[in-house]
Amino acid sequence: MFPEAAATAPAILVRGLRKFYGTKAAVDGVDLEVPRGSFFGFLGPNGAGKSTTIRILTGLIPYDSGSVELLGYRLPEQDLEIKRRIGLVPDESLLFDRLTGAEFLEFVGRMYGLARPVAIERARGLMDLFQLHADRKIIAEYSKGMRKRVAMAASLIHHPELFLMDEPFESVDAVGARLMKDILMDQVQRGATIFLTSHVLEVVERLCDRVAIINDGKIAVCRSMAELRSAGESLEDAFVRIVGAEHQMERLDWL
Amino acid sequence: MIAAILRAQFLSMRPGSNRGLGLGVVSAVFWYGFWLFVSLTAAFFAAHAPADMLPYGVPLGLAAVCIYWQAMPVLSASMGSSLDLRKILVYPAPHEKLFQIELLLRVTNSLEMIMLLGGAVIGLARNPACGGLKVLPSLAGAALVFALFNVLLASGTRSLLERLLARRKVREVVALLLAMVWVVPRFLVMTGTKTTWLQGAGAAMSAFGWPWSAAARAALPLGQSMGSTALSWLSLCIWVGLAAWFGRTQFERNLRYDTLAAQATPLKPASARTRLWSERFYRLPGILWSDPLAAIVEKELRTLMRSPRFRLVFVMGFTFGLMFWLPMVLRRNTSHSGFLAHNFLTIVCIYAMTLIGQVTYWNCFGIDRSAAVFYFVAPQPLSRTLLGKNIACLFFLYMEAIVLTALTFAVRLNFSPAQAVETFVVIGICAMYVMALGNISSVHYPRALSPERVSQSGGGNRAQALVALFYPVVLLPVVLAYIARYAFDSDAAFALVLSISAGIAVVFYWLAMDSAVKAATSRRQSIIEELSRGDGPVGS
Repeated sequence: MFPEAAATAPAILVRGLRKFYGTKAAVDGVDLEVPRGSFFGFLGPNGAGKSTTIRILTGLIPYDSGSVELLGYRLPEQDLEIKRRIGLVPDESLLFDRLTGAEFLEFVGRMYGLARPVAIERARGLMDLFQLHADRKIIAEYSKGMRKRVAMAASLIHHPELFLMDEPFESVDAVGARLMKDILMDQVQRGATIFLTSHVLEVVERLCDRVAIINDGKIAVCRSMAELRSAGESLEDAFVRIVGAEHQMERLDWL
Repeated sequence: MIAAILRAQFLSMRPGSNRGLGLGVVSAVFWYGFWLFVSLTAAFFAAHAPADMLPYGVPLGLAAVCIYWQAMPVLSASMGSSLDLRKILVYPAPHEKLFQIELLLRVTNSLEMIMLLGGAVIGLARNPACGGLKVLPSLAGAALVFALFNVLLASGTRSLLERLLARRKVREVVALLLAMVWVVPRFLVMTGTKTTWLQGAGAAMSAFGWPWSAAARAALPLGQSMGSTALSWLSLCIWVGLAAWFGRTQFERNLRYDTLAAQATPLKPASARTRLWSERFYRLPGILWSDPLAAIVEKELRTLMRSPRFRLVFVMGFTFGLMFWLPMVLRRNTSHSGFLAHNFLTIVCIYAMTLIGQVTYWNCFGIDRSAAVFYFVAPQPLSRTLLGKNIACLFFLYMEAIVLTALTFAVRLNFSPAQAVETFVVIGICAMYVMALGNISSVHYPRALSPERVSQSGGGNRAQALVALFYPVVLLPVVLAYIARYAFDSDAAFALVLSISAGIAVVFYWLAMDSAVKAATSRRQSIIEELSRGDGPVGS
């Protein structure tokens, strides 16, 4: 795609995406369009295909069929163009446990092509912003919340156009979560797009302007929060109804 | 970008925490100091090697370098001290650059081999039989090309093995085969049954056509025609080309490889008969003890049997262990072979007990660390948990003993059923001693272990030091029984001292248990914190 066309294309455009693990379809014909500048919540019960979808979008795993475009660039053909423009808050396995927070941030900055002094400067700033201790503690010794903070800081260092975030608020304390939300809102206001998965529906309801719910590898619903609210249903009610968890509320006799 | 990744690689090779910094520096100094010594020794021998030794000595030396070079990156990666390239995939790095980085990482993982090659080159250049300093250009050139060959081959080997090791079961089989590779040559040499075959293999290894022999001939054109030397260089270059192709294609396949998909390969469902037998095995503690002890033992049996890391050390106990000790018994010309043959089963069983110890009693909370949190909040005394874990370990230890007894009978070693009974008694007493110490070690030096990683060391540095220091000491009472038998030439003396040892073992076990429970109660928070570190099930 030409750069001009890429500039106006949706942030994420997925058509007929399928991914199989053995004979089981983890993602089964997903269609998804995320407009630029939106704060998009990607929800689903455990094992619904959220993390697989996000791993496909980040280029970590290949998909079996369908098409994926991010910021107007096709995956996997133009993966470098995509990777340069996205910020990723991955699951914790992608952190380098044996580096300190500052070293990791500097490393990430340099991987995105920042000059070393710039990367060091930005790393220092982000360490302060996210209240990460600038001591010699390595990431392996961080708490879960600190690991999420350092992952979030790393996703910001190169000023990306699109953020892909897998459970960014998991295990983060209230102060840290507030800080992260403020930063994300700021990023959306400057025109960036945020695509996040979360199990905390209240957070999604408050932050996101659009949501999609995936269940059994298929998109069950994809609409704006305004549309959801106009139906007079909370996100939690809609989620429970869509994923069909209501029957699980039956009480056991002895309980 | 390359500089950033290499910097991260060097930083990743530091010790895990400031607490371990001193120990890490000492380890690094010791490690590279050792290799410096080896390199200087290689230089010395290369400088003084007689001319007739060089044509087969140099190729064999280079072949050994090649084998080590291929094995080391795999080991260092599985121990977590290497940068995982898959973590870099999320960054905008072109594949060509990633491959260059991969090659550079293979160099950083094998600095000791570069030191060794350097030592050998300097030594050979000083050897008058090689022609003196005038051969230095060809020596250095061939060494560099040989190093390049190894780097490329190591990249391909590591990529290939990484994919193999990502698959269920295959990982254990490969790890077991790798372990056996180290012990098979020793087995063949010590048994002396295949010396002619080994000599043939040695001759074949130094024969023309192999990369190491081509490198040796290219480096030292002793008595060769120009054409022969040119052919050696050509052969070496072809090997480099093949290694480059292998390394690059394997690397590309690795980048595209989907580990999750490989692990998601559907398992063949166990037959009803198999399920019935395994359930009977797991339910066995319920017959022997009442709950909650039976439940704890049953849970431990299930957990350990489902852990690839445990399965590997368990199988190694009666495969690797047997291969390791059997040659000593079969060598009939040694003075101590009588003692070894007489107590072979006991020795191999104790060796198997040592092997399973690293994932069981020495660090009993490590392999199922999320369960450790439960044990601390469960309405049961911690002594019961430790006892349950120890009993589960004894289950497996006696399973090892039964398999080893059957195998020992199968290889027709001359021993009586009475000796088998003696072995079963002795390993029970030994187990009480080591488990007593293991319980203390488990609460003082807990370490998170990944049940999936098959080549991670079992405990922290301090725990390993404790094991090395006290293992012989705690087994001393049992050793005294054997000394009594030898000194008095009497089985009665042996039985008497062994009985006393057993009594001491019971007292020692309960005293150690009391101490371990007290320590666990006071160190509860730090134990849980320690077990939560790293990238295993709790940390992620």
